[in-house]
Order: sequence, then structure tokens, then C-alpha cells
Amino acid sequence: MLKNYLKIGWRNLMKDKTFTALNVIGLSVASGIAILLSMAAFFDLSFDKFHEKGDRIYQVYWTEQTPRGPEAGTSLPAPFADALKTEVPGVESITRFLEAEALTTYGDTEINLDAVWVDADFFEMFTFPVLKGKKNDVLQNKSSVVITEQTAEKLFGDTEAIGQIVNIRIGSEDLPFTVAAVTADNQAQNSLDFEMAIPFENTLSYTERMKTWGSIYHDVYVQLQPGVDAKQFERNTRSFVSLHYKEDIENLKRDGAMANADGLFRQLGLLLLENVHYTSFKKGYAEISRAIPYLILGVAFLILLIACVNFINMNIAKSSQRLREIGMRKTLGATKKHLFFQFWSESLFIFIASIGFGVLLSALFIDDFKTMFRSAISMDILTSPLVIFGSLVFVCLITLVVGGYPALLLSRLGTIQSLKGKLESSGGNRVRNALMILQFGIAILLMSGTLVLWGQVDFMRNKDLGFDKNQVLSFPLDGKKNNYEAVKLLRDELAGNPDILSVTASDNNLGRGKDGSQSTSVWGVEYKGRGIRTNALTVDYGYLETLGLELVLGRSFDMDYAGDTQSVIINESMARQLGETDPLTAFFPVSDSLHYPVIGVVKDYNFQDISKAIEPLTIFLNNESGLSYAFIKVAPMNMANSFGAVETAWKKIEPNSEFLGSFLDENIDNTFQREKMMATMITSGSIIAIALSCIGLFAMSLLIVSQRTKEIGVRKVLGASVASITVLLTKDFLKLVLVSFFIASPIAYWLLRQWLENYTYRINLGMWFFVAAGLLALIIALLTVGIRTVSAAMQNPVKSLRTE
Amino acid sequence: MLLQLNGIFKWVQQGGQRVFLLKDINLEVEEGEFISIMGPSGSGKSTLLNVIGMLDDFDEGEYNFLDEPVHQLKEKHRANLYKQYIGFVFQAYHLIDELTVYENLEMPLLYKKLKGSDRKAMVADMLDRFGIVGKKDLFPTQLSGGQQQLVGVARALISKPKLILADEPTGNLNSKQSSEIMALFKELNDDGVTIIQATHSEQNAAYGKRIINLLDGRKV
Repeated sequence: MLKNYLKIGWRNLMKDKTFTALNVIGLSVASGIAILLSMAAFFDLSFDKFHEKGDRIYQVYWTEQTPRGPEAGTSLPAPFADALKTEVPGVESITRFLEAEALTTYGDTEINLDAVWVDADFFEMFTFPVLKGKKNDVLQNKSSVVITEQTAEKLFGDTEAIGQIVNIRIGSEDLPFTVAAVTADNQAQNSLDFEMAIPFENTLSYTERMKTWGSIYHDVYVQLQPGVDAKQFERNTRSFVSLHYKEDIENLKRDGAMANADGLFRQLGLLLLENVHYTSFKKGYAEISRAIPYLILGVAFLILLIACVNFINMNIAKSSQRLREIGMRKTLGATKKHLFFQFWSESLFIFIASIGFGVLLSALFIDDFKTMFRSAISMDILTSPLVIFGSLVFVCLITLVVGGYPALLLSRLGTIQSLKGKLESSGGNRVRNALMILQFGIAILLMSGTLVLWGQVDFMRNKDLGFDKNQVLSFPLDGKKNNYEAVKLLRDELAGNPDILSVTASDNNLGRGKDGSQSTSVWGVEYKGRGIRTNALTVDYGYLETLGLELVLGRSFDMDYAGDTQSVIINESMARQLGETDPLTAFFPVSDSLHYPVIGVVKDYNFQDISKAIEPLTIFLNNESGLSYAFIKVAPMNMANSFGAVETAWKKIEPNSEFLGSFLDENIDNTFQREKMMATMITSGSIIAIALSCIGLFAMSLLIVSQRTKEIGVRKVLGASVASITVLLTKDFLKLVLVSFFIASPIAYWLLRQWLENYTYRINLGMWFFVAAGLLALIIALLTVGIRTVSAAMQNPVKSLRTE
Repeated sequence: MLLQLNGIFKWVQQGGQRVFLLKDINLEVEEGEFISIMGPSGSGKSTLLNVIGMLDDFDEGEYNFLDEPVHQLKEKHRANLYKQYIGFVFQAYHLIDELTVYENLEMPLLYKKLKGSDRKAMVADMLDRFGIVGKKDLFPTQLSGGQQQLVGVARALISKPKLILADEPTGNLNSKQSSEIMALFKELNDDGVTIIQATHSEQNAAYGKRIINLLDGRKV
């Protein structure tokens, strides 16, 4: 029986090859894309799930009610972890966690390793299996380190790693450490990845920092005892907080902060390990958002939906040609069940074949996909039994709906009626129209998303940031020399080169350079009896000039004034915050007794991500330490040569350090990597969606034209022109596109407005985005349908009438 | 008695009025009869055949088939009944274009859930009997009209029905092909199969042992 079904199914497919090809290609492409996209999404969704005790491990974060509104963060002071463990019951293990590079030397090898500085509990809490060396308490000894297999390979090659002694630069000293254990390499979905783990006690100026609660610089992870409820624990920390942050809380009250709903000014919160990767503290509370992976899944689903709609529509339309078969089968004793099963098995057959092709396609394009979207997915995901089982169930469900609906329609037809070959189905058309509206709605939604996303990316790329990003390059000063010295040497080295205009340095990069790091340091100080908060930047001479920052008032740092190392330059926002009529009379309180005068005010510039509003900034000058990035302004000519010259100079000064230079415009581009990735993804999604919708539309136009051949013939005999017939045939489709435009644009508008809210500097969400998307859809639909209808309209009517 | 129709009415509503397709039809058919139904277009010949074949419902009256009251049976029982006892032959043959001659013949047997070997034997038997063994792998479109109708008759016969209903079986055929088909019907009738045919042609009607004339849904 099944053989018979498949045979007739196959022959039906072969009879109309265009149709079959359109159907199979559409489904294959859609399933291929959907496979890739959902792999990427599931990859993104399964971060940090491999820790055995993960359900009890939390990251500690704080929230504070300030006069400017709530603020939140994860940075905590060094004595915090011990105090929390001893003073609040319920903690099983706790570890401090600081990510900072460690310049490691072994013999002649000198590498900057991504190190984590953690407490001994770290390896008890997290599941990083030790392959070689000490199994338990690996970091108990203060001078031992743990490295990954890859690091061992980098440092020691084939030599046994355990017991080797490496030197790690801490501050200005090289300290010896013994390799105690080697762990497996980091898994891809791990947000705590490291190349080397070092006991936390070794961090720079640890002893001083242990004495104060004011210096916050690292994260804390805590593992609760079994059965301890996180919410309850958070409540239990209230007295702990009011004890240790007494002074802060009083200051907040004095400055006029409003307590939160619980009547508290400062609170501790716990964030489940699984959520850490998806949390942002931007808005003053822990916001857990998995929006991007879900968005990607959504796009995958929409694409699949479009392909399925095609399938349903084509199947229903096609089935009118098989009415006689259905009728005959009924007279020969087929029941509804038989017919349903027959048509469903045909769909299943096509689906399985298409998904097979889809898997093939995705395997073919996975590498391109990975580079395009910077995803670390691999086809291995597809071989896990859960995924195989899940997708089987999914396919069965989809075919049940997609293949089942036409099958149900067909199996319900009356025998006599179907034998006559006539289908009285205004209802079927309504479903078909609704589905096509849905399809085009999705396409318009994705297209307007594409336009707006690219608009925003373009806007951010071209926005005047207030500094010169095209002619300035920056690179991290990560060598062994004192960085101030290094800058001086660099300046001397490049002095003779006419293309190098100036050299300077600061403790922070602009944008995100090749080292991938981006940070800001925030100071909270008391100014004339109220608390103020400012970002702090330490620079070298010539910083303002090199970056082309515009001075509004006062002067820049100048080598001729000896006192400038004890003065500051502020930006306009900071000036507003200080609230002085003449900002140059203001001062910056470094400590109770030490006040730095303000010598200049620079125009506000975007020193942080463009998505953020410009915050207050205070610029310090320091001529001894604190510089981490060099900035070099080059002439607009020969920029590649100048770049090479800088690299050579740096290699000469620090032969062992890698040169990670990049121009600031690249750095800025890097900060909206996410937006660019999203834009690319939505663009590809919308192109696919449009292509698939067009396939569907094309197939429908083929069918409708063939069904109306007689009508066209009669009309032409009665004197209709080619144009009027084309209009007649095209009109119906265009109506559908218009309806979908009116449904989709408000939804798109609402979604995109929500998204743009995340950006302080954003484009205007004008009507033209949607009109453009709608027009584009209309034109594409017109072209798709037009080809077929014009040729149908031009046919000799005698011929079309004869075929009836 | 094979079947009995008592006061059968069938109508459709058209603009608030009943238009009768069948009006008070009474008919008794014994096994082994060969009946020709005659009448002009629209007189209700096909409708009557469809009602007898249980493909179509009627609105009033009683219909007994082999002592089973068809008007009281559920859809499923009715389907089983006609599947087992009735074979259909159509003017337009209604062979399935995508299946070969062999597969077309096999199809009714599939719905009767017969075993593969049995099906093979029965199809081979039928091909042999109608002399179309050489054409078994051809598709319907590769055959002439007469040959297609031959396959149509063979398909109707394959499940060994007691009754064959033929709706204008020769309507699409030329005179030579049509007399061949009619000869075949006569032969089948001689073997004991009951046949009811609807036809326009006096000549074909003459093959029947009894002729029923219909006009506007009424027996005359």
C-alpha cells in the first residue's frame, strides 16, 4: 500500500518538474538556513550549563539607589568575600574572580596569558576537570598556578608541565609560580574562560586593598549550601550590608537618594550562574535578556514558516488537478483515513527529502556561516540523540500540519463532486490568501528591520564622535618596560618620521582594539557637600591635541607648567554636574586634603560606546605610571606606511610583545559588532524570506493562470487587451501585498522603536523605512507575477480555448 | 433479489424551490439481469446509477441491497457494501493517469487489504482474460480509448462484484470500440454478473434484457 502511495506520489512529482523543484528548493533552503540559525541560537542559549553544581552557584551583584537613579554592578572589594562567608550563614564556598592578563615568561618564551585570579574554592565550585597534577585543592598553595592543556602546549611544548616554574609579572616584579595542575581546554560555551588561574592573593597591592571596602575591582561567585534559597539568602544579607556600607548609605540619604520598595538604599543580589552570560546591569538592575538568540530562533522560525506556507498553498492548488484520482479512489473503496494517509505520506516524503538536502546545505555552508556571524557552532550538535529525536518529532508535527491540512481538505471531498473534477472552494481561497498575507507580512517585517538596522549602524559609524578617529591609531602598551618610559622611547623613535604627527598615551582605549578589552573607571567623590560621580581618564601630554578634542574653556596640559600633573581637565557634562558658573574656578577633590584645580573644559565627546549618553569625565595627567594604550596621530597620506613604521618602532622597544595596533575607526566599529551581526543576520533572513515568498507567489501565479486559461481566452475573444488582462491577473496578488503591508508595518514600527530605545544616539524612525520595504515587496511581487501573466495574456485565445 | 428501490426521491433546493432529480422511483433488480436505463440528457440516468452505487444520497424512500437497508446504514458500512459487491465503469474511464495498467487494476485490491501474492494472481488473471498482458506496464495515456475502457471494465470486475454499474460506458468511443465493449458486457452477463447501464444509444440499449426509460427524474 505504502509502496503504491509513494509510487504515485513520485510520479505526480515528476509530472510537473518546475513545481516540484520550486517546492523542494524552497523547503531545502529554508530548512538549511533554519538549521544553521537554530544551531547558532541554541549555542548561544547553552552557556555555562556544564557545571555540575551550577544550580547552586551564583554571581553576587549589588544595587544602589543613588540620587541619579538606581545603579547596579558586580564589582566588589577584596575583603567582601571572606566577610560574606563568615557573617552570613548558608555559604558553602566562595571565590573572588578577576580577569586580567598576566605576562608570563618561561625560558625565552614570553606570552601574555588571559589569566583569572581566583580563590582556592574556584576549582571545587566549577567543573573544570583536572587532567594532570594535583586533583584537589589545586590552588591551596599561594604560589601555584593552574593552566589549560593549550597553555601548557604554548609554554612548554612537549615537556611535562607539572612542577615547572614560570615567572609572572605582577606590578613591576617577576614572581615565580609552580604549575600545580593542567585542566582540559575551555569549552566553547563558557563565560569564565581562562588560560591560567592564579591565586587571588597575588593580585597587585592585595594587602592594601584588603584593608578597604572602597576599592571595588573584582567579581565574586558564591556556592550556597544545598537547600538554601537564593531569595532568602539575599534577605539575610541585609544586616551585613547595613553594617559594612553604613557610611555609603548615610551619604546616599544625605544626597537625597530615594529608598527602593523595600526601604533599602543598597542591596546584594544573587544571579544564577546560568544567567550570568545574559545579564546586563546598564539600567540599574540585573536585566537577564536572551533576546538575541531568541530573535535568531524567531528568524529561523519565520523562514521555515514561509516555506511551509508555500508548501501548503502549492499543495492545495495542485490538488485540484488530482480530484478525479480522489473520486476514483473513493469509488474503489478508499476511506477518508486511506486518503489522508496517502497525501500525508507524500508530504512526509517531500519533507524528509528536503530536510536531508537542508542538512547537506547547512554542512556545506557552516564554515561561511561561522566566519560571517562569528559563531563557534559545529555540526557535532546535530549528532546528539536529543537533537535528532527533537527534530524528528518536529518534522512529524510540521508535516502533520503542513501536509495534513491539504490532505484533510482532499479526503473530505464528496465522491461525485470530485469525480466531476470541480472544487467549490471559496473557503480554500480564503485560507490561501491569509497565508500569503502572512508570508508577505513577514517579508515586509524583516525588510523594514533590515533597513532600520543598517540605518542605525551607518548612523553610528558616521556619527561625529567629537574626536579624530580616522587618523589616529592606538595599541596596548603591554611590554615589560615601564609604560611611561615606553611612550617616551616611542616618541623619540618616531620623531624623525614626517608622517607621524604626534604620540601620546592614556590608561584607556577608545572603542575596542585588537586586544578586545574595554573598560572605564568611575570615581565617586564628595564635592561641596554632595556626592558626585565621574569617569576618570589618565593621559599623557598631547592627548587632547592628538585626538583633536575641542577645548571650550581654559587650556590643555602643558609641559611648561610644572603643576599640571596636579590639575584636571573636565568635559562639559562634568562641568554641568559641578554646577559652577565658571568651571575654571572649580576643583576636583582627590582626597579630603588634596584638591586639583580644573584648568580646562573639553567639548563632550563619546569616550564610551556610542549607545551610551556622554557621562561626566575627568582627565588626569600623570607622568609616572597608569598608561596602558599609546595613541599616534599620522598624516592622512601613506597611512599604511606610517602604521608599519609604528609597528617597527614598537618591536624595537618591546621585541617580545605583540603589536596589536589598530585605527580608532576600526575600534569604534568593533563596539557595534553585535549590531552589525544582527543586521547581517536579519538581512540574510529577509533576503531568504523574500526569495521564498517569491517562489510561492510564482508557483501560485502559474497555477492561477493555468486555471483561468479559459477565462483569458474568452475575454480576449471578446476584445480584452493584453494590458487589461495582465492587470486583471496581477491585481489580486497586489491586493494581498498591500494588506500585508498595512498589517506588518505597525508591528515592525513598534518592534523597531523598542529596539532603538537602547540607543541614546539613534536615527529617526521615519515612515519612509516602511514605505520603502512595502514598495520593495510590491515591486518584487509585481515582477514575479508579471512574467507569467503577461505571457498568458499574450497567448492566442484560440489555443487557450482549445485546451479546455 | 439483488436490490430493491421503493419510492426514491432526490431533490436539490434552488431559489427556495425543490427541483427533483429523481421522483418516486421503484425498481427491483434480480441477480443476473442486464438493465439499460435510457433517457435524454438531464433525465436522471447518472443520478439513479449513483444512488444505486451508493455514491450519492437520496432524500426519501427505501433502498435494500441484498436485504440490507442501505438508507439506514452508516457511511462506513455502505462503503464496505459497495466495495465488496459493486463495480463501476465510467464514460471518461477515470483511470489514474499516474499509475500503469497493472497498478490501476491492483488498486481496488489494495483497499480490500488482500495479500500481495493474491493480488498478483488476480491481476494476472484479469490481464489474461482481457488480453492486455502486453500492455500492463503502459500508462493510460498511452492507450486508445477502447483499450482504456477495457482496462476500466477489468478494474470494475477484479474484485468480483455481483453488480456492474456502467454510466455511458461507450460515450467516448467509436462504433467499433463500442460494440466490442458491449459484446464484453453481454459475455459477462452470460457468466452471471448483473449489469445496469445508462446509455443514449438505442443500439447499445438493445443489449439489455430490460429497458427502463427516464424523463425528468421519473420512470415512464
